[in-house]
Amino acid sequence: MSAAQVASLSPEAVTIEERSPFQIVMTRFKRHRLAMVSLVVMTVIFIITILAPVIAPFEVQELSVDKYFVEWGTVDEETGRVHYLGTDQIGRDYFSRLIYAGRISLTIAIVSVIISELVGIIVGAVSGFFGGWVDAILMRFVEFMLTIPLLPLLLIISSMLLRNEELIPIPEPVLNFMGNLLLLTPRDARNAVLIILILAGFGWLNAAQLMRGMVLSLREQTFVEASRSLGASNYRIIMRDMIPNAMAPIIVDASLGLAGYIVTEAALAFLGFGIQDPIPTWGNMLSASQEFMLDRPWLPLVPGLPIFLCSLAFNYIGDGLRDALDPRLKL
Amino acid sequence: MTAFFIRRIFQMILVVLVSAVATYALLNLAPGGPLAGLRQQQQSARFQITEEDIARIRAYFELDLFLPYRFTRWLVGVPTGPMVIGGNEYFSDLVVGCRKPIESDILNEDTGEYEIVITGCKEDVFMKDLVGRRSSRGILLGDFGLSWRILRDRPVSDLLLSRLSKTLQLIGLSTLLSLLIGVPLGVYSAVRQYSKFDYIFTSLAFMGSAMPTFFFGLLMIILFSLVPKEAGWPYVPSGLSESVRDYTIPIIGAVEAGSFKDRSLHILLPTAVLTIVNISFYSRFIRASMLEVMRQDYVRTARAKGLAERVVILKHALRNALIPFITIVVFTLPGLFSGALITESIFAWPGMGRLYLLALGDFDYPVAMAIFFILAILTVIATLMRDFLYTIADPRIRLS
Repeated sequence: MSAAQVASLSPEAVTIEERSPFQIVMTRFKRHRLAMVSLVVMTVIFIITILAPVIAPFEVQELSVDKYFVEWGTVDEETGRVHYLGTDQIGRDYFSRLIYAGRISLTIAIVSVIISELVGIIVGAVSGFFGGWVDAILMRFVEFMLTIPLLPLLLIISSMLLRNEELIPIPEPVLNFMGNLLLLTPRDARNAVLIILILAGFGWLNAAQLMRGMVLSLREQTFVEASRSLGASNYRIIMRDMIPNAMAPIIVDASLGLAGYIVTEAALAFLGFGIQDPIPTWGNMLSASQEFMLDRPWLPLVPGLPIFLCSLAFNYIGDGLRDALDPRLKL
Repeated sequence: MTAFFIRRIFQMILVVLVSAVATYALLNLAPGGPLAGLRQQQQSARFQITEEDIARIRAYFELDLFLPYRFTRWLVGVPTGPMVIGGNEYFSDLVVGCRKPIESDILNEDTGEYEIVITGCKEDVFMKDLVGRRSSRGILLGDFGLSWRILRDRPVSDLLLSRLSKTLQLIGLSTLLSLLIGVPLGVYSAVRQYSKFDYIFTSLAFMGSAMPTFFFGLLMIILFSLVPKEAGWPYVPSGLSESVRDYTIPIIGAVEAGSFKDRSLHILLPTAVLTIVNISFYSRFIRASMLEVMRQDYVRTARAKGLAERVVILKHALRNALIPFITIVVFTLPGLFSGALITESIFAWPGMGRLYLLALGDFDYPVAMAIFFILAILTVIATLMRDFLYTIADPRIRLS
């Protein structure tokens, strides 16, 4: 092609449309079909749980006397409301409890993920950036925490904390905020806040290790050097150069973490060391259904399927995000 | 290398000690415990429980000692009395606890409620009072103390031993099966990457690893026990490790309670659950590791010099792919002991994991602490073993 021919080409013909990094990631994410399906499923579940007070025909604690284990689709004669999934052993509407439980389980998982990733990012960034004894102390501590058998320890901690809830001081505004979010009284919300603290307390370790690894490799990059030579402060380098560039593994970790938290929270409740009965969660509904499944074998499916669905969906989304952000990531 | 392991062993001892202190404090500082019910009885007119009774019971559970002394007595069995050096007793008047605490109702300004607060001590416990008291020789020396609730006053070690074999059966069998099935599946899937088999297998394994164990266990009970039993088909009994009464299963016939047939039928479902969960975990790991290795130069070299594909895969690729797998396999060691908490709980399998849950729920802290302590030690040993085996399997790894 001669110079004249090149000059005669219109700009549109030689340049490709500019795309932001976000668009590139989105195109690649859309290629992962199961991840897209999962995203849609999770969006639907989210909307349902956010609109819980509007959608649920019954109140969470509302008892229908003498209507224990009614069939699904039974209509309440006085008010005309429908028990879409029937009622439980003391006459509470299953469907309403299920979506309120979803709201509680999902919120706990999301808040735990946010806290643990934030703590992980800060600890990992500080540790990797400053190195030396700060790094040594922080990473020894992380290693130390990772060698303790997790589930048995979680069981000890939650059984102790939940029995002596009042002993742990939690600021009133936090309780009120969580109460509003979960549609619980501040007193009941204390239970949920404790579970979040327990989950996030052991969840940030992985994120911290990931973040530290990323920061260590970023520290040697030329753009960080350039920033420093332009006189950027440590704070600025960490906030503007390190953290945005290290987000890929953190985002994937957060997505997989959501799946993990939903399952762990449900497991604690299932074993009787999590959130207790009058407050509905998928875990304690499943645990309660165990007692009656001899006569009603389909009963555990009702709270069990959403747990499985969420866990699977967040795993697929994490998988899709990894492929879209950085296929070489090992998480 | 040696320096690394010496440093590592010290670090591990610290891990075990700190986690023991933390969990011991957590369990013992919390109110409640074995005295919880006594307070109500104290009020009732029929069973008058005097202050003296309470003091005696507190002494029996060692609740009258201060926490640090209680902890060292639990850990290594000291102090058991004043120190005797050259015929002289030292520290015999040291206050080590409180026999009768003064409890007073104090108005809490914030809540407006009265709370029982310990404000002082009527009668101290001195070091010399510890002489002649029953004490364990210390958990480090193999004495786990006595159970508080589950098997009252029987040694904790008896309880643990009675449960150990059940857990070993379950976890041993399922680990063995999942290794035997999981590793070949992972290898085959990696060798035939992008084939139909690989596609189906990876999606199944993905679902398996996302499936919560507790839900999977319930599903298995429903599918293989409840529904077929209802329909009159052959079914698999679920719950416990053997049945109490004789029973008959269609086609299989009469089963005598406690017989070998009975026990193997009962172990079937929990083993299946654990095995399937482990397979999806192991084989995903092996597959990823194999894919990584198959891209290496030495595998290409092995092919280039004309070795049979079988030899390339089994000798050159698989051996290297198994190195990272060590990480996972050594951690079955603590698993062998703790059992699978959740699986044992669903199937009412009388193993360690269920004992642990029972002990926590029932305030039987000596049992819970013993299990947690052994578990922490085993986990730490597994971590050490992992590092050690790594250096043996892969001489390129240098530890420092």
